[in-house]
Amino acid sequence: MNDIQLPPIDYAALLPMLIVFGLACVGILAEAFVPRKHRFAVQATLTLAALIAGLVTVIINRDLEVTTIGGAVTIDGAGLFLQGIILVLGIVAFGLIAERRLERGGAFVANAAHAADSDGDKKQLNEAGATEIFPLTLFAIAGMMLFCVSGDLLTMFVALEVFSLPLYLMCGLARRRRLLSQESALKYFLLGAFASAFFLYGVALIYGYAGSVQLVAIKQSVLDSDKSGVLLAAGLALLAIGLLFKAAAVPFHVWTPDVYQGAPTPITALMAACVKAAAFGGLLRVFNVAFETTSWDWRPVITAVAMATMIVGSILAVTQTDIKRLLAYSSIANAGYLLVGVVSLGGAVGSSMFYLVAYGFSVLAAFGMVTLVRDADGEATHLSRWAGLGKGSPLFSAMFTIIMLGFAGIPLTSGFSSKFALFSSAWDANQSALVIVGVLSSVVLAFPYLKVVVLLWLNPPGDETPTVSVPGYLTRAVVGVGVLATIVLGVAPSWLLDMVNSAGTFLAK
Amino acid sequence: MDGYLGSYATLGILLLVAGAFFAVAYTANRLLRTNAPSAAKSTTYECGLDPAGGDWAQAQIRYYVYAFLYALFAVESVFLFPWATVFDALGMITVAEMGVFVAVLALGLLYAWRKGVLSWTTA
Amino acid sequence: MTVTDVLVCALGAVSLGAAIRVVTTNQIVRAGLWLVVALGALAGVYLVLTAELLAWVQVLIYVGAVVVLMLFAVMLTRAPIGRSDDLDRPRLPAILVGGGAGLGLAAVLADAYRWSYIGLSGVEPGNAEALGREVFTGWALPFEVLSVLLLAALVGAIAISRPEVGERREES
Repeated sequence: MNDIQLPPIDYAALLPMLIVFGLACVGILAEAFVPRKHRFAVQATLTLAALIAGLVTVIINRDLEVTTIGGAVTIDGAGLFLQGIILVLGIVAFGLIAERRLERGGAFVANAAHAADSDGDKKQLNEAGATEIFPLTLFAIAGMMLFCVSGDLLTMFVALEVFSLPLYLMCGLARRRRLLSQESALKYFLLGAFASAFFLYGVALIYGYAGSVQLVAIKQSVLDSDKSGVLLAAGLALLAIGLLFKAAAVPFHVWTPDVYQGAPTPITALMAACVKAAAFGGLLRVFNVAFETTSWDWRPVITAVAMATMIVGSILAVTQTDIKRLLAYSSIANAGYLLVGVVSLGGAVGSSMFYLVAYGFSVLAAFGMVTLVRDADGEATHLSRWAGLGKGSPLFSAMFTIIMLGFAGIPLTSGFSSKFALFSSAWDANQSALVIVGVLSSVVLAFPYLKVVVLLWLNPPGDETPTVSVPGYLTRAVVGVGVLATIVLGVAPSWLLDMVNSAGTFLAK
Repeated sequence: MDGYLGSYATLGILLLVAGAFFAVAYTANRLLRTNAPSAAKSTTYECGLDPAGGDWAQAQIRYYVYAFLYALFAVESVFLFPWATVFDALGMITVAEMGVFVAVLALGLLYAWRKGVLSWTTA
Repeated sequence: MTVTDVLVCALGAVSLGAAIRVVTTNQIVRAGLWLVVALGALAGVYLVLTAELLAWVQVLIYVGAVVVLMLFAVMLTRAPIGRSDDLDRPRLPAILVGGGAGLGLAAVLADAYRWSYIGLSGVEPGNAEALGREVFTGWALPFEVLSVLLLAALVGAIAISRPEVGERREES
């Protein structure tokens, strides 16, 4: 019996994830034992410390390239960069989650179990929000980090669940509009569970084909297996459905607008920035490592999905009247652009990661500013309420304009440089049809953004134009960082482009 | 009947016998009993009192949390069986692995206890 | 036809029939109980195919805990215990989607394996020891992460459903 050996474990490689997971567990402990009065401060500090420590260890690990713990984790340049993106965007999103100055007690409800609009629910409007969100956020972020570096599909599945489950829960914790929030949590949970089942079934079929769930072993067996290709294709299709659901690609996008609208805005921001990065990190890894050699098999399908995602996302964004739904459809369209990077494989990994950074910062700033436009009922998200904000709040409106122009892809913003980098690497990979659809759809998509800009500056303010709250320092920092990144990555993108290109691609051996 | 399936033959036969016993008992009951149904007989029996209210009470959420705890620790115990068979061979390292697993879950129990989920009535 | 073939087919038929009853019955509680039959028969299939531990895990977790959890969840609602005729259940699309997916997957599997035959006699049974060796060596990381997933689920479930009673006691 002594022939059984544990696989070697490279603790240094796992350290960033261990730190975040570990401090999340400490957060649970704090939740249980720290007196209510100090809980918020302790939790917020712990969370920020965990994210920063994780980021520092990722940076220290930057040249590491290793497959460890029995192939469950593959640390490589691209994986580390994705982990870094998730942590940086997580730190920024943390600013929104921890903000308690805009609204008494923060954006989260104290006791979610009260029926919406019941007496108990009304009474808790001014109570401090639940602090469980901090450890839950850490669990989600740690899960995303693991998702991006999973070396096999089972680890990937567990990681998928680890980051999804806290998000389902946090969607239901909005302080205002409880019914909408509960609906979004339920929808996200049911559809997400369904997508997980697809993912798992896909894993089973691929295991039947390859006899292994490790990505590199799947790649090998694709080359020399005598089994039916139908099995592989069916498995890959089901696996892709599970992943595309998280990435919010058409036709698996239906949850996105409702969930983005109903969830507490800080959580929406976290989903739009970090989950997008994690989902595309997983997609890029799976397709680049395990299925690169069968690209003739899946490329037409994913190309069609990418085109549908770009077109549907941008056209439906035009018709939206709620800013959160508009940003949701815009995130669907952006998922389409990122899928162009997935289809283009190897050469586009770097520019896809650049796109994730650029989009993540802009979208965090956008949702950060959505939290600032408020009236007595909380955030005023209907676009008609935003008319004429430029008169009373020029600074706010100018910042929001920059973000909107960035999304629209105007030169000198990160939206332009990231789209340019992505589309040119797709062009080099002979995906000209996708590039054409991408450029055309981004022209369509520019329309709703510019509509918002016109609304802000040129429309007369209504009688009930809400106020723009003076932001607390956290939201101020988030919005500032997001706007700054949108400009810097637009004016001087070369340093980050160099960084993503030198980060290298996924380790496939 | 030998080999792998043979080792489960006793269980299979027992299941068959149990099923047969059930069928025979109920058939005998049906054949032998008198049959005179009435409305009073099919009302709910509440210790001799007339039943009041409907037949469905909405349960409290705490039952659910208990059921959830049960499911959680059922999952944990399931991993204990394979662990018990191998930790002798693999040594301290699996003890550490299981220790971490149990400790993390114990953390959840600790949290539940501090939140007062485990006490049935308010103190 | 070996004994194994007969048993797998019989248990599979039971599982399929019970599963159909789960989605066609008009009584929600009975749907939960039919689920016990469907999952139990599936456990039998696992057992016949020498996945011993998996079979008992199925009984313990799914037939035991998960169905209990589902029944408790039903009891939380105001659903009636008897027949509900207003269950919102579009039959035709459900049959098309469910039947289509089932037949499609069956066709894929049948096509992939055709008549290939794997004897069970030479296969090492999937008992506790074999699984333990796998879980505690090669799959150590997913195993540990699983505990974190369970913890997150527990904390989340308590956070969204916290009975007020406990909360007051804690503050005192």
